[in-house]
Amino acid sequence: MLTYEEIMLLVTALASLFSVIAVYYAIMEKNLVRAVVFSAIQSTLYAFIYYMLMAPDIVLVYIPVAVGLYPAVILILISKTEKVEKQ
Amino acid sequence: MRHILGIIIILLFIIGFSLVLTIAGNYILPSQEIRSLAKYYLYLAYNPWHRNFTVMSPEAVTSIVWDFRGLDTVFETAVFYLAIIGSIALGRGILKYSKPEGELGLSLIVKTVTKISAVMIIAVAASIALHGHLTPGGGFQGGATAAVAPLLILIIFSHYYLLEKGVTKDLMLFLRSLGLTGIGIVAIIVYLIALPQGIHAYVLQNQPKPDSSIGLPAYINGQLISGTLWFFNIFEFFAVMAGFTIVFLLITIPERAFKKEGEGEKQ
Repeated sequence: MLTYEEIMLLVTALASLFSVIAVYYAIMEKNLVRAVVFSAIQSTLYAFIYYMLMAPDIVLVYIPVAVGLYPAVILILISKTEKVEKQ
Repeated sequence: MRHILGIIIILLFIIGFSLVLTIAGNYILPSQEIRSLAKYYLYLAYNPWHRNFTVMSPEAVTSIVWDFRGLDTVFETAVFYLAIIGSIALGRGILKYSKPEGELGLSLIVKTVTKISAVMIIAVAASIALHGHLTPGGGFQGGATAAVAPLLILIIFSHYYLLEKGVTKDLMLFLRSLGLTGIGIVAIIVYLIALPQGIHAYVLQNQPKPDSSIGLPAYINGQLISGTLWFFNIFEFFAVMAGFTIVFLLITIPERAFKKEGEGEKQ
């Protein structure tokens, strides 16, 4: 049976692997709004990792900035330009 | 299909690299000893029996950020201040713009939800900032959380709603300058108290030091405030919250405000 510590490390490893997928889609996605959503998903997973690594101070600054403020600012900027990336 | 292949290659690389690192970990072990500096920080963060060295804050991170390494944070705040000045400089030369006719913002449901959640966000932010010396959190964390509320209001109620409620760029600029001035005063307040008494003190001093018997009280009326940390957190809260709000106010200014008379009419 897995110990508490091993479960924590397993969740951290899975969160980091899923965040890589989110980053890949955020880079490759041509629709910028969807790219921002993928970026926010990556930030959410990173927030989990910080929490698992016992850094609650970083979590508290990471959640508002990387999940709230940053995607919102980018979305406002996208709304003022074009929604799809051109070649 | 191309995407899935790319993801699989990246994931296989990461898992393989992790395996190599795990095997390497059997040969090159990182030290399990805590470094002596870290030991001192943990030992002295809250230690009423060593009143000449302690910070009197049970939150080790805040005591490092605002006391042991306080100068770093003061300069960090100054850098943030300058970054906001840069964005204000980018938003200069704005023409007068008027509120457009008709209903602005999103639907009534979203507005009602925002009215409730904005108050809750501010409450959580205040508790993060005011308890920064007791629990994880602090001025920057609280300020960044509080800045989410004006951002929500800006998008859901529109730019003009916030301006009509009095949250203007000038007011935020004033609050932010007040915050930075406060941080500057708190940084030298122990020195200012010590000066008339003929005792010498240090910049960013919090509790008494071995050769300087003066310091801010750690408790007020039985409540732990950890000397300067509580004041630093409050002023940082205002500086960061107002700083972010200025950027959001500038970002949501309509495009026509930057165009000359008549030019904006074509849009």
